[in-house]
Amino acid sequence: MKRRLALWICLLLVWSLLPMLWQLISSFSTAESLVNGSIPFLQRWTLVHYKELLASDPPFWRYLLNSAIVSALTTVITLALAIPAAYGLARVPLQLRRVLRWITVAAALFPYVLLFLALLELARRFSLGNSLIALAMPYSGLAMPLALLLLTSVFESLPRELEDAARLEGLGLWQRLRWVLVPLLAPATASTAILVFLFAWNEYPIALTWLSRDELLTLPVAMARIAGSSIYSIPYGAYAAATVLGSIPLLLLVLICQRQIVSGLTNGAIKG
Amino acid sequence: MNLLLLLPALLMIGLVFVWPMIRYGWLSFHANSVLTGLNPVPNGGANWIRLLDDQRFWQDALQTTRFAGVSVGLELLLALAIALLLDQRWRGRGVVRALALLPWALPTTMMALGWRWIFNTPYGPLERLNEFVGLGPLNLLSTPMWTWLVTVVADVWKTTPFIALLLLAGLQTIPKDLYSAFRLEGGRPIQALRCITLPLLMPYVLIALLFRGAQAFGVFDLIQVLTGGGPAGSTESVALYAYLNAMRFLDFGYSATAMLAGFLLLTSAMLILAMLLRLSGLMKPVQP
Amino acid sequence: MLHLNGLGKRFGEQWILRDLNMQVDEGECVALLGTSGCGKSTALRLIAGLDRQDEGSIELDGEPLDSIPAERRRIAMVFQSYALFPHLSVRENLNLGLKIRGVSPAQRQQRIETVLDTVRLREMADRRPQQLSGGQRQRVALARALLRDPRVYLLDEPMSNLDAQLRDDLRPELRQLILQGTQPVLYVTHDQQEAMALANRIAVLKDGRIEQIGTPEELYKTPASQFVASFIGRPQINLLPVDKQLTIGIRPEDVGFDPEGMPCRLISREWQGASQLLLLDSPRGALRMLCAGDLSLSEPLHVSWLTSAEHRFDAGSGHRLAE
Ligand SMILES: Nc1ncnc2c1ncn2[C@@H]1O[C@H](COP(=O)(O)OP(=O)(O)OP(=O)(O)O)[C@@H](O)[C@H]1O
Ligand SMILES: [Mg+2]
Repeated sequence: MKRRLALWICLLLVWSLLPMLWQLISSFSTAESLVNGSIPFLQRWTLVHYKELLASDPPFWRYLLNSAIVSALTTVITLALAIPAAYGLARVPLQLRRVLRWITVAAALFPYVLLFLALLELARRFSLGNSLIALAMPYSGLAMPLALLLLTSVFESLPRELEDAARLEGLGLWQRLRWVLVPLLAPATASTAILVFLFAWNEYPIALTWLSRDELLTLPVAMARIAGSSIYSIPYGAYAAATVLGSIPLLLLVLICQRQIVSGLTNGAIKG
Repeated sequence: MNLLLLLPALLMIGLVFVWPMIRYGWLSFHANSVLTGLNPVPNGGANWIRLLDDQRFWQDALQTTRFAGVSVGLELLLALAIALLLDQRWRGRGVVRALALLPWALPTTMMALGWRWIFNTPYGPLERLNEFVGLGPLNLLSTPMWTWLVTVVADVWKTTPFIALLLLAGLQTIPKDLYSAFRLEGGRPIQALRCITLPLLMPYVLIALLFRGAQAFGVFDLIQVLTGGGPAGSTESVALYAYLNAMRFLDFGYSATAMLAGFLLLTSAMLILAMLLRLSGLMKPVQP
Repeated sequence: MLHLNGLGKRFGEQWILRDLNMQVDEGECVALLGTSGCGKSTALRLIAGLDRQDEGSIELDGEPLDSIPAERRRIAMVFQSYALFPHLSVRENLNLGLKIRGVSPAQRQQRIETVLDTVRLREMADRRPQQLSGGQRQRVALARALLRDPRVYLLDEPMSNLDAQLRDDLRPELRQLILQGTQPVLYVTHDQQEAMALANRIAVLKDGRIEQIGTPEELYKTPASQFVASFIGRPQINLLPVDKQLTIGIRPEDVGFDPEGMPCRLISREWQGASQLLLLDSPRGALRMLCAGDLSLSEPLHVSWLTSAEHRFDAGSGHRLAE
């Protein structure tokens, strides 16, 4: 029984990790050894792909930085709007709440790719293209339904008497949010923040259409642009190195925050 | 007061989700392309008539639906197995769960690039394996059928962990006492799976089905980077087609029409699906 | 002095509370007594300003409260669930309100230490509410109310989550801490014993209306209705139908043995130590009777009571009939 369980676990890990391991191996292999299997084991390895990536113009870390900026900003804006909104939503009359809940669920289900054209128009109209700060606006809007759903369900699960007690203690609305509700929601807020961050970090079609200047590209767009060159002449070693470098921040994020991610997804599932 | 707090977020959602649909509705009745100097000119229902006749659009719609159906189906099966595995108690479960979640967290475009290397002919590991076992190169990324399968595999690889987590959440709401009671009744574990686990898990399966179905229908990142819609348009999705219309052919009016049509198709498919599920009694009336 | 004038509250079409008139004097404790769901908490929430009444008004010392939001009413409430902030330690729980209300740090410190001594929780000051027992939580809630320095105390079943033993232990503390102040106190409970023990006056609520209000003695001696009669006094009063118009109430403690009395059969007995409760089968129906605990019984039993101890109720409406 134990042995069979272990076997399945190994299979699961192989399935999840093998493709990434292959990238890792490739990234340290010389270009020659990628296409020629007969090169002796000890002569296959090199760091040149990483050196190239970091020396290119713009250097690879620039994309990571761009992604980090947009994602952080998106997270902040989304939470700043979603926390008060979720508070309000949990307290509007039931009927209205039901309608709003349906709208949010529908928006959260929506395959947002289909929105890119109208959003692109807005970007052109108001000259928002090629600005990382402006990009955080549509991102916040796109992440809002998810954040609202997650946070509203937690607000609803808080006993009403806690807030009432705070009112009787003389706390106004903002003070209640600041001193009682937000601290109570800290775990849920953290997991929402991480999910929003991941969304913004991985978003592709909007970034693809809003950004064109090389030094402003976010990681997913930069990756796709690398891939855009011809299939036959692709320097796969450099690509593999790029995927490895690009994975590292996420790897850390997921390993460190896995509990929050899981609880966020779980909450979303139970309430959604 | 409460409504006031809600307002900014609702405005944001309205601007990002509702406005585009309104705009597409308007654009779809206008010609707006290089021919009109990128200015909207009313053209009656010409876009819609063209769409009805557009082989490529319907081909893409079919292909996208097939892609969504097959990958979501596979994902559900695999995810169920993984969720059952992760629901057991064993040491190191947390770490494995985090590692298994990784594929979901990585940007799609990045792994799409990775897949291109893995499925590369002739140097990718898979083709080498084929060579080794004597199958010869299968041209995984230039044969329509294989390429399609590759996109499915890539999608399954990426989103299975997510569904597995949803289902795991569902599994963990099932009281363990039920299984004890079932055993005292003389049921065997495999029967428990069918009589207790699956029925109680059904709501979660349906949530995952609806959510992932909608997302998979909007597949874009993966296809655009991994295959570019090829070979010969065989993996092109509705979203990609709309994107190409706008960004490559600069025909915004038609692109908007295609997207709106895609949205309408998806909505009606979801509604029909939801209705069927409700009729079949699988889904309790959804508690919002 | 707290004054409620015709207070009413409805949810949708249904009136949860109607026509609540009451006055609570300085230093007086009035208990609101009623079954679950009769609107007791609702009444307190209206007074605290947490919900808005649909009719009537509330006055405190002659000044209308209706337009003052809950934050500024200076009313302290101890909630049924205590509502302690789970993310804060005991000390921080007590500190939060003081800080918001702009009390200086030195003074805060001093007042918190004093109140911690009063409720004897000094050693627990750095624990979180989850790490406290029910009785300790209740004392923290009391301490928070004390620090509010309120104009009115509202206590919503503050002891309902405690076991019987603890309740008896805490009652004197409660009396000492809160009931000896000069503020009006409204004390909600569904335990008539608690109400009788603590309150100067008791208001019995039924379906959102006051059935009777008066001193515990008045309620016990001259209950205004069958409902009040069976709510006040344990063991419960015997209600014996006489005819279509009249029901007689006779308290078990007023029934006595009498060789001339009704012959009864003993169905069961509950021995309570100093006393025992007998359940008898009498010609007029089942009868509860209280007698000394050491009495040995021999059947047949004959019982009777004084006519002056009878309470006479209208069988239809349940109202007390004039003597
Ligand atoms: N927000 C609300 N919407 C609709 N009905 C409500 C609401 N709040 C309370 N009620 C109803 O009002 C009635 C009185 O409730 P309340 O909480 O005042 O009762 P209570 O006397 O305090 O009962 P308990 O002893 O159980 O605490 C109940 O029947 C309850 O169902
Ligand atoms: Mg109550």
